[in-house]
Amino acid sequence: MEGRPREERELVLRAQGGDPRAFEELVRPHEEVAFRVAYLITRNAAEAEDAAQEGLVKAWRALGRFRAGEPMRPWLLRIVANEARNRRRSSGRRDRLALAAAEVSGEAAPSPEAAAVEADERRRLLDALEELPEQARLALACRYLLELSEDETASALGVRRGTVKSRSARALEKLREAYGPRA
Amino acid sequence: MDLERELRGLAIAWPKTPDLRPELGPRVRSRRPLLAAIAVALVVVALAAAFAVPQSRGAILRFLHLGGVTVEIVDTLPSAQERPLAAGLGPVVTAADARRRLGATPLVPPLDPPPPLHVADGVVSAVFADRGRPVLLSELGGDDPVIVKKLLQGGQIRFVRVGGAPGYWITGTGHVVTLPPSPSPRLAGNVLLWQTGGLTLRLEGRGLTLARALELAGSFRLLRDTP
Repeated sequence: MEGRPREERELVLRAQGGDPRAFEELVRPHEEVAFRVAYLITRNAAEAEDAAQEGLVKAWRALGRFRAGEPMRPWLLRIVANEARNRRRSSGRRDRLALAAAEVSGEAAPSPEAAAVEADERRRLLDALEELPEQARLALACRYLLELSEDETASALGVRRGTVKSRSARALEKLREAYGPRA
Repeated sequence: MDLERELRGLAIAWPKTPDLRPELGPRVRSRRPLLAAIAVALVVVALAAAFAVPQSRGAILRFLHLGGVTVEIVDTLPSAQERPLAAGLGPVVTAADARRRLGATPLVPPLDPPPPLHVADGVVSAVFADRGRPVLLSELGGDDPVIVKKLLQGGQIRFVRVGGAPGYWITGTGHVVTLPPSPSPRLAGNVLLWQTGGLTLRLEGRGLTLARALELAGSFRLLRDTP
């Protein structure tokens, strides 16, 4: 997504000049990841949608403070994640994340029994991830489920890059203990 | 590492990403200090009309934020009482304290002496008399929503420019406000809402006209420390 910095820069300048189409084009490549970050935080698809939607509106309003040439994604994630945290705080909801493993088909499963064992392992790993403390869960989910960079994760979590590193390392340790060796 | 690879390899059944098409209203271009002349380019946008089509879930039909103020367009107003403007604004503080709590220098009307400043939950307020009627000035730093206004669908809200800065003029009887520290809403008078220099300002008065509100807004000065 960041392979077109010149194009992005031009879109930023056009959007800063008040062109809403340019803004939409600018944020479209990041909408999915922004929504998923909001979902990880709010644990609720409707809340995540509202947070992402409102985050985009705030980003539009704050665009004057964005420096053309800087990557858009971390900036946008920070705003959307912040909105998601506010919503979660004010709603007081504590839903479980209901992250489900998608069905995996194909060569990974040599037999129905092996496929069942694989699916069970994936479920167990997700459950262990869900049981981690909030900050640890979010750090790992951003880094490994969404495959965000350390910088992007830092923006989404509102912490420094070094904190992402240390938090992820500790979270992996905890997860390893909880998940344990394969049966 | 093994576990990292396993996590990366987890195919997650994410909820479908919705079609995010936010309504992009007027964009905040800059936060210039307000001390410039206030020859106002008054841009009237029919926001109330734009807000009239419900899209979100629940009773909130639309909302907008201006700094620390959230304006919600609702189909039913919560029950609210009429309370004096000066009620429940928090304790009076010194200029230095107000500045510290706000994270910026408050703007005040050019009165000598300046009106006492109150602080509650990060909102700095002052009540002063304007042409014999009380007016409440509230100031907030930051963008976290602190003040919530609820406005009935079809209520009067206009986009205005206040010395070049974006703002809203809200009138009519169909709106209520929740101002910290009070958790309960009260009926609100006419309100000018705008941003300047990193602050969100709110000016409220029963008989306030837009012209007078803009005049007042243009007269405000940065607070000087009092001995």
